[in-house]
Amino acid sequence: MSANIYISNDFINGAKANTPIGLSVFAYGAVLGMICAQKGVEIYQLTLMNVFIFAGTSQFIIVDKWNNISEIFTIVAAALLINLRYFLIGASLNSLFKKSSLMDKFIYMHLVADENWAVTIERSKRESITPLFLFGGGICLFSIWSIGTYLGYIFSGFISDPSKYALDFAFIAIFTALCFNLYQGKRNLIPWLIAAVVAYVTEYLFGGNLYIVLGAIAGSLVGVILEAKK
Amino acid sequence: MNNHELYALIIIFLVSIGTYGLRLSGLLLSGKISNEGKIRIFLDYLPPTLLLSFVTPVILKEGLAGIFAIFLIAACMYKTKNVFLSMIIGVVTIAISRNFFY
Repeated sequence: MSANIYISNDFINGAKANTPIGLSVFAYGAVLGMICAQKGVEIYQLTLMNVFIFAGTSQFIIVDKWNNISEIFTIVAAALLINLRYFLIGASLNSLFKKSSLMDKFIYMHLVADENWAVTIERSKRESITPLFLFGGGICLFSIWSIGTYLGYIFSGFISDPSKYALDFAFIAIFTALCFNLYQGKRNLIPWLIAAVVAYVTEYLFGGNLYIVLGAIAGSLVGVILEAKK
Repeated sequence: MNNHELYALIIIFLVSIGTYGLRLSGLLLSGKISNEGKIRIFLDYLPPTLLLSFVTPVILKEGLAGIFAIFLIAACMYKTKNVFLSMIIGVVTIAISRNFFY
């Protein structure tokens, strides 16, 4: 019995911990909803994307190309390239899922987004939590995201310029704050710096979204090289 | 169902499968390989380096306001450890800069 209470607490704590970042997810979803309405995406199509893809940026890519939808290969490749980081995100969740069954992994991984992943990783450095924390965050974000997209879709004429309120920066602010909490001392400095520089330079040179994955791999490899020597 | 709807469904299907595959395979593969030494270090470095790679280009695109916002967020995290408050400070800084300085 007590184990159950503990587990459901983790679910609720995960949902609670993701509520602040939900503000940003809501705004992002509303923008997607507006674009969907303008491009003539049907509600059922938006719903399918929210439920089965559940990855904001790649949904933007698909909707952006809505008028050239016959270019199936190009659109799928672009969307998956952006989602390549989920492979690394999945890999980094290894220790959280150490005691989990295969079924748990299959169920909980679908609702992993950047936001609940970041919140979970940061929390797991301070407290002992289960994958239900991640899942609770996922359900919370999924609800907020869906509501945001529908409201944006319905009220697409009302919101003129969401960037004016800098809600798009809310993600960035939270990710940065969470990152500071992961700092473990001077040994992190060089790998972190390398990640930032590689990400900036690749984004500057090539655009696109591959910079996230490249920066992370470069920084982590430098971390391995520096620490393996010791 | 017209062609446009069919193409849309095919794309949604393929991206859904692919994205779920990426999420799950990352986790399953990292569980298979030896979880010690260099791989452990690599996996430990992934979260902060992913976050940094995510934010750095966006922050620098905001120019001085972006750097100033990050400085305030750092100070707020150092003093209060409050992520929500840090977010508010960051967003307000950027909103002020976008509304009054551009």
